[in-house]
Amino acid sequence: MNNDNKSNAEPVRARKSLNATAVAGAYQKEWFAGLKARVGNGEDFGYLNADVPMEILRAMDIPFVVNQWWAAICAAKRMATKYYGLLNEQGYRDDLCSYCATAFAESLDPDDKVSGPWGGLPDPTIAITRLTCDCQSKIFELFAKNHGSELYVMENTQPRRVPPNWWELAPDNWEELYDADRLDFAVEELKALISFLEAKTGKMFDINKLVEVMNLINEQESWYKKTRDLIAETKPAPVTVVDTINAVMQAQWQRGTRWAADHARSLYEEIKAFTDQKRSAVPNERLRLMWLGRGLWHDFAFYQNFEEKYGAVFMWSMYLAMGADAYIRNNVEADPLRALAARYIGMEDFLHMPPWNANWFLHEAKHNKIDGVVYMVPENCMQALEGSYFVKKTLEDAGIPVLIFKADPVDARKWNRDTMTGLVEDFIETRIIMGGKK
Amino acid sequence: MSIRVCARENNAFRHLFEYYSNREKAARMFRKNGGKVVGELGCDVPDELVMAAGMFPYRIYAGECSHLVEADRYLEYSFDPVVRMQFEKLTDGALNREIDFLAISNSTDTLIRIYLYLKEIKRAEPEKPVPELEFIDWLFTRRLIHQTRNEFTLRLFWEKLEEWSGRKITDSDFAEAASICNEDRMAIREVMKLRRADKPRVTGSEALVIIGSAFFMDRKEHAVLVRQLAEDAKRWPEICGARIFLTGSAQENTELYELIEKEGAVIVGEDHDWGERFADRDCNMGYSPVRAVVDRYMMREFSSKKAFVSQRVEALDREVDACGAEAVIFYMNAFEEAASWDMPSQRKSLAARGIKTRAFTKMSYPVSKNSALESGLKTFIESLKG
Ligand code: SF4
Ligand code: SF4
Repeated sequence: MNNDNKSNAEPVRARKSLNATAVAGAYQKEWFAGLKARVGNGEDFGYLNADVPMEILRAMDIPFVVNQWWAAICAAKRMATKYYGLLNEQGYRDDLCSYCATAFAESLDPDDKVSGPWGGLPDPTIAITRLTCDCQSKIFELFAKNHGSELYVMENTQPRRVPPNWWELAPDNWEELYDADRLDFAVEELKALISFLEAKTGKMFDINKLVEVMNLINEQESWYKKTRDLIAETKPAPVTVVDTINAVMQAQWQRGTRWAADHARSLYEEIKAFTDQKRSAVPNERLRLMWLGRGLWHDFAFYQNFEEKYGAVFMWSMYLAMGADAYIRNNVEADPLRALAARYIGMEDFLHMPPWNANWFLHEAKHNKIDGVVYMVPENCMQALEGSYFVKKTLEDAGIPVLIFKADPVDARKWNRDTMTGLVEDFIETRIIMGGKK
Repeated sequence: MSIRVCARENNAFRHLFEYYSNREKAARMFRKNGGKVVGELGCDVPDELVMAAGMFPYRIYAGECSHLVEADRYLEYSFDPVVRMQFEKLTDGALNREIDFLAISNSTDTLIRIYLYLKEIKRAEPEKPVPELEFIDWLFTRRLIHQTRNEFTLRLFWEKLEEWSGRKITDSDFAEAASICNEDRMAIREVMKLRRADKPRVTGSEALVIIGSAFFMDRKEHAVLVRQLAEDAKRWPEICGARIFLTGSAQENTELYELIEKEGAVIVGEDHDWGERFADRDCNMGYSPVRAVVDRYMMREFSSKKAFVSQRVEALDREVDACGAEAVIFYMNAFEEAASWDMPSQRKSLAARGIKTRAFTKMSYPVSKNSALESGLKTFIESLKG
């Protein structure tokens, strides 16, 4: 454990300049307090992995928390060291699956209700995950047992057909995007999930409500699309990933609500006002950087380390761009469950499967006029093995240099900011500025 | 102990050992005679169907490959060492000379990645010597919709095999192949009774050879030899020693078993895919062919990769009971992580039943690379004798 390094022990807090970020932060706290009250009143409460079609629970008004969102909160509250210590004490490896195992580790903490983030996680009655990797079901089962929740799992299938530009087909032509049998099966899985939830909670699933939820999501994601396009086309960029990641992520977990759609709009309007006023995040912007991989939840300030010295701005991450390209499904009224199926089965493929991820990253890099890509490959997650060779090659063949490094999105123990800063500085100097000619 | 003189001098065992050691021998002969060989990556490619198509199933294994040029190029570092070596052989042309086609089952998520990467290499770098491949997208969750989906998946594989072999697979082709595989599994189970007996007559190392040779030879011949061996081994000397069950990473050769058995223990059972799990559950010949195959691969004993912790705890307790093991060794290769989530609960349950355990995790491959392993095993096995 590397605690002797000062910059590790007391990371500099990231600057957050957007009102939308502050609003989202305040909202999620308030929302969480409301959630606790509902759970306290005996309502069912779901704990879901990020790739679970949460729209179903939203339509049924079953409150839920998303695993990755909660892990990010735990990381931002710097609880990881304590939690992974608990894993160790109980005989678990503390260097595995940190992202997905944070909440399970937290469930081992007897003091959680006192010292956990925001007064700890209330006990979910339902835990749902998808089998997108071998560890997921195991971790969720352990988590569910500790909380006394009922576990439900959904499967994951692999595509046989891979048309090149998923982001062009996804909003309207999903039948062309996927093998028909995969969609059929995903719809069956949704129906099974609905039956389970109806039996468990006594609530009815109303398809009209799902249409409403799906349309609210379309509205929300359309604002992200406008926002993404605006940032991509504005030089210098009006905002950086530090501004957008949290603002988008927090609202994404609330997707399908009026609040989230309105929040996405306010985010757009705020950034639009910046561009109208010719305000930019880093006025001396000289280089535009793309961040590939999960958010560096425990050290957001890292992203800003290169602004002053190099005018290098991290202005792209998948969080906003996925909102823009991966979620919209138009005309859901015809078959809302199939439209939802066409959303949730793709997330894994879009992000983690070559050539879909590589092609999209390249498309986005060009659109955003990216000068260099910093690519964080997680150390201990099989699911995030996504063909980094192909991603790097695709980008570099198009003349965009890529730095790949290993790190953990939530476990600060292994992070050494000075080393990482040196790595990125060297990359900027030798690969971007010198064009690899040093 | 490990592989004893009685085994080495036994005619049937000698034949099996020959194929276990010279793993390409039968496949090469098959090809030389004009047949086609299907390489199998993962433990859930149905041999029955490959054989029904008139082709030869050949299991991809890591072996010892010192250079990992292609694996280092394409694979992120957290792919486990065994898969890295298998991948190397699949991309550097070595296996292209041995197999005609490659079938990959999603027995673990690592293999899903390998499939996606190989597919992408074929698309983006077609000059690479990657064989033509097919993926079998089994689902292991035990619900009706998954069983139905698996039947669909299996029909796709069936059609692919017909395309590869250039002939229709009839129900009677299937019945013949499935009977051979069933007969082989039954024969293996017969020998394993001798291994599990109060006084075992077959060691773990011998068992690995007996089972693993099936992956590399004509299955009918294998069944005959194993049947013969089941008779012969009844007269092999009894083995004394601490009875150990091995769980964790698959052992593609006898190295680890020999180390353990050298210390005076005997491995009476294991749950990895190069051991007894291979012979678990037959094709039910009363079902239609597709149903029979799905039932066999979906419903056999849980694998460490595709099951809940609770299922794995129960499975291990069950298997340890069945073979009367007094101790369990957990042995896991680095980056083969899934089973580590099962281990604490499994150890707890075993401890409550008076079964001693010892865990070796994050192990290097091959076994010989782990310098502290031998002394660790020695101490543990000594402690069982007390
Ligand atoms: S890392 Fe990617 S896949 Fe995982 S929760 Fe975040 S957006 Fe979803
Ligand atoms: S392998 Fe990755 S996705 Fe799977 S449980 Fe571990 S961290 Fe999560």
